[in-house]
Amino acid sequence: MTTHPSVHAEAVRLAAEPGFEGFGTDPWWIILIKALVIFVFLMLCVLMMIMADRKVMGRMQQRHGPNRLGPWGLLQSLADGVKLSLKEDLIPRSVDKVVYIAAPMVAAIPAFLAFSVIPVGPEVSMFGVQTRLQLTDLPVAVLLVLATASIGVYGIVLAGWASRSPYPLLGGLRASAQVISYEIAMGLSFIAVFIYSGTLSTSGIVEAQQPIWFAIILFPSFVIYLITMVGETNRLPFDLAEGEGELVGGFMTEYSSMKFTMFFLAEYVNMVTVAAMSVTLFLGGYLAPPPITTFWPGANEGWWPVLWWLAKFAAVMFLFIWLRGSLPRVRYDQLMQLGWKLLIPVQLVWITAVATIRVLRNEGYPPLVTSAVIVVFFLAVLAALLAMSRSAERRQAAEAEERARDARAVHEDPAYGGFPVPPAHAPHYGSSVPAEEPRTAPPAPSGKREEVTGA
Amino acid sequence: MNHAAYSALETTLAAPVITQGPPDIDYGLLSPMLVIFAAGVLGVLAEAFVPRARRRVTQLVLALGAVLLAFVLTVSLVGALPADGAGIVVAFATVAVDRPTLFLQGTILVLALASLLLIAEHGQEESSFAAQAAAVPGSEEEREHVLAGSQHTEVYPLVLFALLGMLLFPAANDFLTMFIALEVMSLPLYLLCGLARRRRLFSQEAAVKYFLLGAFSSAFFLFGIALVYGYAGSVNFADVAEAVAGGGAGVIANGEPLLLAGIALAGVGLLFKVGAVPFHNWKPDVYQGAPTPITALMASCTLVAAFGALLRVFYVPFGGSVWEWRPMMWVVAILTMVAAAVIAVTQRDIKRLLAYSSVVHAGFILTAVIAASPEGLAGAMFYLAAYGFTTVGAFAVVTLVRSREGGGEAGDLTQWAGLGRTSPVLAGALGLFLLAFAGIPLTSGFIGKFAVFEAAVAAGATPLVVIGVLSSAVTAFFYVRIIVLMFFAEPAEEGPRVLRPGGPTGVVIAVGVAATVFLGVYPGPVLDTMLPQPAEAEVAGEAPTDMFAR
Amino acid sequence: MELYAPIFVLGGIGAGFVVLSMVVGAIAGPKRYNRAKLQAYECGIDPTPQPVGGGRFTIKYYLTAMLFIVFDIEVIFLVPWAIHLDALGMFGLVAMLLFLVNVSIAYAYEWRRGGLEWG
Repeated sequence: MTTHPSVHAEAVRLAAEPGFEGFGTDPWWIILIKALVIFVFLMLCVLMMIMADRKVMGRMQQRHGPNRLGPWGLLQSLADGVKLSLKEDLIPRSVDKVVYIAAPMVAAIPAFLAFSVIPVGPEVSMFGVQTRLQLTDLPVAVLLVLATASIGVYGIVLAGWASRSPYPLLGGLRASAQVISYEIAMGLSFIAVFIYSGTLSTSGIVEAQQPIWFAIILFPSFVIYLITMVGETNRLPFDLAEGEGELVGGFMTEYSSMKFTMFFLAEYVNMVTVAAMSVTLFLGGYLAPPPITTFWPGANEGWWPVLWWLAKFAAVMFLFIWLRGSLPRVRYDQLMQLGWKLLIPVQLVWITAVATIRVLRNEGYPPLVTSAVIVVFFLAVLAALLAMSRSAERRQAAEAEERARDARAVHEDPAYGGFPVPPAHAPHYGSSVPAEEPRTAPPAPSGKREEVTGA
Repeated sequence: MNHAAYSALETTLAAPVITQGPPDIDYGLLSPMLVIFAAGVLGVLAEAFVPRARRRVTQLVLALGAVLLAFVLTVSLVGALPADGAGIVVAFATVAVDRPTLFLQGTILVLALASLLLIAEHGQEESSFAAQAAAVPGSEEEREHVLAGSQHTEVYPLVLFALLGMLLFPAANDFLTMFIALEVMSLPLYLLCGLARRRRLFSQEAAVKYFLLGAFSSAFFLFGIALVYGYAGSVNFADVAEAVAGGGAGVIANGEPLLLAGIALAGVGLLFKVGAVPFHNWKPDVYQGAPTPITALMASCTLVAAFGALLRVFYVPFGGSVWEWRPMMWVVAILTMVAAAVIAVTQRDIKRLLAYSSVVHAGFILTAVIAASPEGLAGAMFYLAAYGFTTVGAFAVVTLVRSREGGGEAGDLTQWAGLGRTSPVLAGALGLFLLAFAGIPLTSGFIGKFAVFEAAVAAGATPLVVIGVLSSAVTAFFYVRIIVLMFFAEPAEEGPRVLRPGGPTGVVIAVGVAATVFLGVYPGPVLDTMLPQPAEAEVAGEAPTDMFAR
Repeated sequence: MELYAPIFVLGGIGAGFVVLSMVVGAIAGPKRYNRAKLQAYECGIDPTPQPVGGGRFTIKYYLTAMLFIVFDIEVIFLVPWAIHLDALGMFGLVAMLLFLVNVSIAYAYEWRRGGLEWG
């Protein structure tokens, strides 16, 4: 630390900024304890989440899931981790070695950082020191989370690129395109929150949800955040980057042993982070759910808020598993269309509406004007929905017609559309019997629906 | 930095105060720029929603209408200025609307109108732009697009956005606004340069070169701004001028080196856009590779805008340190006039030759900048207008002369031999433009050179003027050589094919000829009434004599 | 700085763990040489030769990247505005709406011209 008076004055001024009194004053050992606790919590979360993933998925699919190691199979993921570290660490010959080894680190290390600004409780007494249950808070805390998320993408892109092999390359490109597409919608869903909270500091945002959660007053933002959070973490139904049906293992195809584990770890830590963010920004953070405080005023004091926080956090994590258990993987173009053509325009209209109505109310416009604006927004949204459904219907009709035309054409000429068929007049597989004459006349259309029989 | 200086800095860098009421901006004074911007935005919308068949007409009407409307608004703004000749600053003093601004904006708009007509030319031949710029040159995809008759109507909105930058560039009244204007002006031009229909790789190379070098020069400019900001504690021209005049703004002690480096770096950025030696390397390549109508736009409008900005920067914020920057400008002006004239003699391609000629002319105008007097400003502005019309006309002629095989433009000068016998009118027009470039009396070029050199002599830069006159003599040599080639040489076996000028190109050439002759024979109205009048302002006594708003 | 230091502490712990476990993985695992194992995985066929330096991606990805930059900058502009919306009032709202309209026009252009089709 420099002794420069002016620089020091600057630091003091920053620390004294309203809302940051409780931060930046911890003794070093408290910081160390908090950081270690967060680290251990993250690792435990990852282990438990993998476990829960497999258990809950198993139950959803009428089976048990892992149940051998430890009580109820709880130690299974730990055993998996140990086993992975004892596997051979392959480095394929063709890879770009430096980048190949750096990529898992780039993916995993930033993942840990974001959790440092997540508030899990108010001020408590820890070993006789008054401190917040939050590692630190910044005037730009939410931006820090977004920043670490975007650095994490580099790990995926670099892994795909450094492997010098088609599947990883495709996986990496897909992942980067997907993550940046969903990051915009995610950033936009924060805007409405900022309008209401008036700050970027996470503890400030939690405190701003004192009477009512943002998930309720800003419901569209919350829903879109939930969607983008799944897209951002490459989880089902948006796990195109590692869709094993098409890309083997996606960007981590060439990785093995602990390097592979690091990607796995990064993915799960990212899930923890985005879930914690959703709790912080929309679900009232560590605040007790509203009805509880009415009959138990002490619910928001001491260590109790940690319980509320954990409960909300577990609920969001369960949502991840639930989605994975119930939804099929989307197609790549559907994924990008959802991101660009639906989430972003909806967000822009929503932010405009929120900001307009808030300003109209702040500036004391008569309620008539405000309600008129609300009605106009409603009508505009309705009109847009109507137009969209119309165009979707038209497109579907056109597609159906084209399919029907194709089906008829295939019926007449089996080679239509370039499908390889044996020549119609060639001797049939060595026999001297001539092949069947092509059917020239299509069957008369019977009824409205075209049906291809015999397939 | 000691503590007192730090707290001084802190007061200057204090967080911006959120104003209580909405700021008062006189949108009327900004209306020409707003019209152009709105038309550009509407053009993008038209690209999105108008059916393909009607896009070109829509864009053309929109672009021409907007430029005309903006011109009318600019002319009407002249009356809105205070009578004593002072200008007005608008929008938190980021834009200055004064006589020089309006004159330059009007000139740019008229020249842009001419360039737009060239861009729109779609007569017997196809347009000058690639059918599909994203297709790989020579590929099957490209052939399909050519056969399908695809065209890039995005050209019009891009030109309008570039035009917005050009209008703002000479009007900017602080360094950041000027930088934004520079980027708004340059980015569309980088794109437009790569859209040539023929010799596409060549065109793309030109675009990449222009982009890379332009990005470099922007970085220089920005770095210069940062240093000047460090010296003056502000980017506003008036504040910088005050700091320069007062020997610093108290932000740092002994800041002279900072200011000097700032002037030099910002100067490099501006001189690059002007194309002065040693920052001229992009000009021949880009002028040659770009579609000729775009070359016309760059050679006329961009030059006017860039010189407008250069004049303002060196007259207003750096006006107090004229003795510091004058030596640097001397060197640049001499290099420009000598080197470019010598290199131009060796050129064999008409577009490259015109490019080098543009570099030489930049050198001549720099002598007026060096004069740093109201007369110099008036001379430079007259020169810019005269040169702009002539060069647009010259490039219009270039678009019409095509080589036999391939149908591309006949760049090589040998193909131009005997053009005067086969198509005398066209060759005559080009001859007139070349004479104007050379500065022969009774053309606008002569009056322009006279005004510029007179101002330089009055400011004591006689050696510079001597070099300028010698350089004119060298350039006259190669202009006259082309005229001789066109009129007194035998027509080449495989002579060029001369297209009949369609309506738009014909109009441009006619306007070019008319302006060149009119400004040469009868320059009085422009010199006496349209340009800022130093004498008039001196009588008024209060306004600054060069009529820049401060 | 006091506010930021804890982040580096946590980052240090994370980095230490990541590096350590990768080193452990590299040391603890067996090493059994097999030429086929060192080839890039392509479902058993010989790996496709990869162009030196990475080759060319389809232009779609660049379009997405450019669009991302435009919109990301939009989001970044929106953040300070959103925080100070109450102070900026009607003027701020109108200014931001104008900005959003302009970005939306570029967006409409890209949409209509097929820049958002990945089919």
